[in-house]
Amino acid sequence: MNDAVATTLVGVFGISGSLLMLFSALAMFRVRDALSRINVFSPATGLGMPLIVVAVYVYDIHTEGFSWGSLLMAAVAVLCLIIVSSVASNTLSRASVLSGQPVYRKTAPNRLARPPAGVVDDDPDSPDQPRAGA
Amino acid sequence: MMRLFHGISYLGYIGWAIVTGSLTIVTRVLRPGQYARPMIVEIPLRCVTDLEVTLFASSITITPGTLVTAIAAGTSTQPPVLFVHALFEDSEEAAMEGLYDMESRLLAMTRGRAPSGPATSSAEVEQEEGRP
Repeated sequence: MNDAVATTLVGVFGISGSLLMLFSALAMFRVRDALSRINVFSPATGLGMPLIVVAVYVYDIHTEGFSWGSLLMAAVAVLCLIIVSSVASNTLSRASVLSGQPVYRKTAPNRLARPPAGVVDDDPDSPDQPRAGA
Repeated sequence: MMRLFHGISYLGYIGWAIVTGSLTIVTRVLRPGQYARPMIVEIPLRCVTDLEVTLFASSITITPGTLVTAIAAGTSTQPPVLFVHALFEDSEEAAMEGLYDMESRLLAMTRGRAPSGPATSSAEVEQEEGRP
């Protein structure tokens, strides 16, 4: 691999990965609640950081030459970044819901807040009728 | 053999979903006006085993624009349910259609063939629940 190709590839992968991080951070200012902020951050962890790892790997091939060890390291790093970011987002969103964080009021439909259509939410056996008007 | 083929095509599908979802989030930042239409939809799962549910929840979350907020465990009469926070879908039906498509591809990978139709299990379960 000659110098020009290597420099271009490293630049393309590294800069697009960094720009994805930047735009994910900007997108966090455009949404209003914790769940959406966790949601719009996934391009950074799911695509931006793997792209930066790929840029480092291409640079490594160019300077040190190909080796199976560094290929394995890069593959494991990309795989782990994707799995860890997914599990972390799940855990964060679950913690956010369970701790009672407010959800943006224009979230519609919000199936966590309202029962789905057709489900009547009262108990016919209860002695005091809560839904007297129904 | 078919499972290997379905697995590779599923990996490609997830990779493509990550790229297009990231582009959606990035291009919407540059556009003025309303950024997103957040919604939380409820999808009854056709996935049965822990592995299928875990893989499906992780796939949903790693796709930019959709996020699993809560998982309700299945009982003997009800399938497990995922509550998914979606940002860029036009309607609840469109969101659920995309998620069922992903689930069909996932089940084709774990079981070797895709299940028959979308959401049949939940409909059957609801009918069974209604019976005395």
